[in-house]
Amino acid sequence: MSATRLDVRAYACPMTYVRTRIALERLRVGEALEVWLAAGEPLESVPRNAVEEGHRVLSCEPLPAEGAGSWRVVIEKGNPPPEPL
Amino acid sequence: MNPLLARKSALVVGTGGLGGPLLLALGASGLGRVVVCDDDAVETSNLNRQPLFGEADLGARKAPAAAQRLERLYPRLEVRAIDARFDAHNALELVSSCDVVVDGSDNFATKFLANDAALAADRPLVHGGILRYTAQLLTVMPGKTGCLRCLFEEPPPRGSVPSCAEAGVLGALAGLAGALMAGEVARLLAGERGAYAGRLLVHEARPARTRIVPVRRRPGCVACQGGRTLESSQGEACEVTVTRGPSGG
Amino acid sequence: MALSESQIGRYARQLLLPGLGEAGQERLGAARVRVVGAGPLAGPALLYLAQAGMGRLWVDDAAMVSPEDLSAWLYGPGDVGRPRSAAAAEALRTANGLVEAEPFRAGNLPTAVLVASGAQSTDRVAAEEARLLGLPHVVAEADGEGGAVTVIPAGSPCYKCAFRTGHGAIPTPAATAAVGALAALELVLLVADVSQEPRGRRIDLVRGQPMARPTVRLPGCTCGAGANEGIP
Repeated sequence: MSATRLDVRAYACPMTYVRTRIALERLRVGEALEVWLAAGEPLESVPRNAVEEGHRVLSCEPLPAEGAGSWRVVIEKGNPPPEPL
Repeated sequence: MNPLLARKSALVVGTGGLGGPLLLALGASGLGRVVVCDDDAVETSNLNRQPLFGEADLGARKAPAAAQRLERLYPRLEVRAIDARFDAHNALELVSSCDVVVDGSDNFATKFLANDAALAADRPLVHGGILRYTAQLLTVMPGKTGCLRCLFEEPPPRGSVPSCAEAGVLGALAGLAGALMAGEVARLLAGERGAYAGRLLVHEARPARTRIVPVRRRPGCVACQGGRTLESSQGEACEVTVTRGPSGG
Repeated sequence: MALSESQIGRYARQLLLPGLGEAGQERLGAARVRVVGAGPLAGPALLYLAQAGMGRLWVDDAAMVSPEDLSAWLYGPGDVGRPRSAAAAEALRTANGLVEAEPFRAGNLPTAVLVASGAQSTDRVAAEEARLLGLPHVVAEADGEGGAVTVIPAGSPCYKCAFRTGHGAIPTPAATAAVGALAALELVLLVADVSQEPRGRRIDLVRGQPMARPTVRLPGCTCGAGANEGIP
């Protein structure tokens, strides 16, 4: 199954996660999103935010062919956790 | 408009989501003088919630832009703009120059610094914070009520709570909090008891549920004892020796 | 219809809110809101509605900008003497170029209404009009050091059912701004469909403390006519 790909390396936080979130919103539960992001703050925050919002991080690995500091994170869309009332 | 306020002054840290509505409401309340401190420039993503600035201000330095807008709207308000970070080097001088300290900042380090500096200089502090759909407000009366460190002791460890920069913000909720802070400042400067003095007010917007958490002085709280070493967000230390005067409120 | 690049950049910070996201933002963009009033109470409300991305704002106000209106957040000294609806619409378009804002005209069909005229009689009429059209609406009143915001989703107890006599005291600037912002907040939650509370509610602001409770239909009120049919 080919995952939808999203390249957010050109953006600064919080835009990196905003775009990831929108892309995930457009998928169905169980579908995968492949995000290309930069090391540093994006790499720290995007996978963590995704997990907090009920998704699964399937893999997280460097992309040497794309130059130093590029990473690929694959996220599977999950169900949002029940929100505290 | 209360004529008593015309002789009073406030230090407002932050001119964005909280500081913006606060300054607009405070200016209309007849305050005499305000010092605004902000080290940021206006960005596109600010514009969903910062009423002091519009598209024409993109790229502008916030403190001077805020001063300009306020001076046009409220000619009797004296505005001093500090285009710099509120940190251990300038905190004490700034808080000492005004009658009340108002925290409209968007990060924990600044909030705790404002708390410590206000206590060291024996100035009341009106603290506000927004996180997603929740707003919180607290007034610290040095020597009388608990402070931010009585409540939290230390800022939360990095990554445990989304920073204000990471989490979502709804402009109107920040507007509500900022306006409520302005009301509190007006009350304090008019010599009345603060509504949030020693009482943390927490408002959750979606269920419209409000609760009050009493904040008592914690024995051993280093901030409440004064003479503390102020730490900037970079961890630089700045020794503070202040003789605490009689706490006349 | 997906959000544009400029919309994503502008609304980035609220797109991160749980429950809002692209779908909620699109609901806001599709809304056409009639705002009754353009003075110091409606001003903050109008600004926050525009900043949140309510797609179309219609400003319904017949007065001229007075020097007192400079505390409305929308006007500058050069606007004094101009019609408030036109000056407000212009300020809103400047605040957010992605939304449309114009003076309200007969024949406009809103999808939601925010009532903040500052005058009880005007508020009652406007709220009743909204109710009869089946529109969700929010009514804001500032009074002394506080005020109230009444939230009326379509079909819930009407404004008259929730109305309480206030003190009629001149509202302070801080209370006016707080009530205006709260009214905008409640309408945004309603239109974006993230409020977690489907029932109507009234939020009183008393000395800096919001106090909310659900609204209750008064027996015999015409707003419940359909449900109460046949019951004396």
